[in-house]
Amino acid sequence: MLLNVDKLTLGFGTAEPLVQDADLALGEGQRLLICGATGSGKSTLAMALAGIIPQILPIPQYSGRVSLAGENVTALPHAALFSRLGYVAQSAEDQLWDLSVEDIIAFPLENRALPRAQIRERVRALMTQLQLTALAGRRVLTLSGGERRMVVLAAALASQPTLVVLDEPTTGLDPAARARLCDALVEAAAHVSGMIVTEQDASALAPVCSDLALLSGGKLAAPRALGPALDDAALWTGAGLLPPRRPTPARTPPATGPELLAVAGLRTRLTRADGAPVLENAELSLKAGEVLAVIGRNGAGKTTLMKSILGLAPAAAGRIVLGGTDATGWTIARRARHIAYVPQSMRQILFHMSVAEEIDFARSMGAGDEDTATVLARYGLAGHEETNPFALSARQQGQLGLACADASGAAIAIVDEPLLARDLHGRALLETFLSRMTGSGRAVMLISHDLDLVDDVATRLAIVADGHIQQDGPVPEGWHSPAFAALGWPLPRAHQRTAA
Amino acid sequence: MSRLADLNFFAKLGAAFALMILAWLAPDWRWGLPYAALIVAGLVLVRVPGLRGYLKGAGLLTLMVIVSWMINLTIQGLAPLDALGVAAKMAARLVATTALFYFVMETSSPGAILAACSAARLPPIVTLVLSLLFGIIPMLRDEFERIADAQRARGMEIDDVSFLRKLRFALARGVPLLVQAIRTAHAISFSLSLYGFDLGTKRSTWRRVGWWIEPAMSFREPHK
Repeated sequence: MLLNVDKLTLGFGTAEPLVQDADLALGEGQRLLICGATGSGKSTLAMALAGIIPQILPIPQYSGRVSLAGENVTALPHAALFSRLGYVAQSAEDQLWDLSVEDIIAFPLENRALPRAQIRERVRALMTQLQLTALAGRRVLTLSGGERRMVVLAAALASQPTLVVLDEPTTGLDPAARARLCDALVEAAAHVSGMIVTEQDASALAPVCSDLALLSGGKLAAPRALGPALDDAALWTGAGLLPPRRPTPARTPPATGPELLAVAGLRTRLTRADGAPVLENAELSLKAGEVLAVIGRNGAGKTTLMKSILGLAPAAAGRIVLGGTDATGWTIARRARHIAYVPQSMRQILFHMSVAEEIDFARSMGAGDEDTATVLARYGLAGHEETNPFALSARQQGQLGLACADASGAAIAIVDEPLLARDLHGRALLETFLSRMTGSGRAVMLISHDLDLVDDVATRLAIVADGHIQQDGPVPEGWHSPAFAALGWPLPRAHQRTAA
Repeated sequence: MSRLADLNFFAKLGAAFALMILAWLAPDWRWGLPYAALIVAGLVLVRVPGLRGYLKGAGLLTLMVIVSWMINLTIQGLAPLDALGVAAKMAARLVATTALFYFVMETSSPGAILAACSAARLPPIVTLVLSLLFGIIPMLRDEFERIADAQRARGMEIDDVSFLRKLRFALARGVPLLVQAIRTAHAISFSLSLYGFDLGTKRSTWRRVGWWIEPAMSFREPHK
């Protein structure tokens, strides 16, 4: 066996361990997908399988045994272990600092003092194999999320490991980047003896992995064939996950109200490399009761559109109208009293010392009047009033973002890539937020790469491409528009089946 | 500017030290001030990134140094004009020193520093300290700006307010900045452990290092 796991128990000192008595046997050539809801212990298990727990990150409760080709990973020296095991963290940023692409890929080889010619040959081969040559010389912190993950994958493969462990590698990637990563994983799998991938979205990894093991309630189920499991809806809901092949929920046309936001003739001061504005003559409106999804390739101008509305990106021409009043000359802070912003990483916008203070601050910025405990309970944060926001998990910080946006009473919420909506519980929280907003005469702009999420919850779809809003209309029409076809992305899964 | 970024880190560091020593040897403000101005003008000329922010900081530093030295020397009985001369000399030294090292910091990426240290076969601990010392500050400065944008986007009026309020809001950025600094430190220490950084092993480098440090791998050249 390549990897053998025997009665592995992992915990952080709480009454119940996070993972209990997990058994697993991974054979040569096997590619295993481990799926579980947020907080089920996937990342902890992935780190234990890669030997990071306990070799780099000791935890209070670790028992059982993980063996790589018969050798206990806890007994192997660091250098020997991590040259045989490659690891890609859920957040690629956890493995990156401000180095260039080649520096990151070469780093493990340089640390082992390999000769320069040998390092160059390996880096060159990996960059060619994973199609990273166009990124040569770029600093990794300037790359997109997908590009960063490809670089980390290359670094994980640099030492020619026998086993590679990847923790949620497709999270937050646009469909094209996801497809490129999956192609790279298929290519990489040909050069390693085994691969373990954890994910919430099984269908994205179906071309890469052959077997599936579900992690739920601390128990790791025995592996089974992935293909047939994709159609078993009860299997996924039982593990707290959204079934990969679920139908689109029935749509009822939204009852829209007055226009809350209008973008007219917007041209940004920010330009592209060729000197063209990032956005040119952009027109958009948002009415009460709407959930407007904005999609587009990386660099198409989605973020710039959002920043222009918030006032963070200066406009060269055009108008932003909020609630019928021209807000073009308003300061960013004044606009924020009308627009609540929920970024992908909430960590960047938290600055108070307790959750209650964050809610109080949000309320003071807008027209909200609900008490803190009620808002927190709605978003699954009851009892966290005095918790430091930075002590919350990333998922809980996302919940706090929704709570703050709701509590502010702002007429519009801009939600940027809500990753918490990838499992059943998180999706329910997001739907609660959306129905609260739309049901109270407010509106939401949802920026996401997750086409299934967009298909499920949006009432309107806008596609940004080449600095323009190329498509704006009902969601089903959007999937069949020339603008969507030009993206070259696959349809949301429910529509793929309909088309088939 | 990009060519200066490729100059060997130790060449820049050595030059900065030499020029700094000259600044500290200036006999009085009549030499010190023009010399400091010349160095700052050099930064403007080569278009060092983020210069506006540096100049703001240098202005504040100059003001604080002059005021504190003036008070100190006047209390000790020196005539105000003489005290001003001494204070100006000290301020000129500090501006010259900070400007020189700002230049080194802004034009040296952590990767280029790692390569220079590895090629010089320095002990890994020295390599690490130099890379972090000169490489992390620009990262944290960018993070500081990102947090300010996030504060604005949540409704904090931090632009159109008095200096004192601005200062208070800047201090509020300290919490997320500290968290980010800890995360960065964690990411670095994690990647060092995962990728086999060993204090007992002198590193090698993929880059060709001489007076200039190779900035990127060329995929057109024949394999070497």
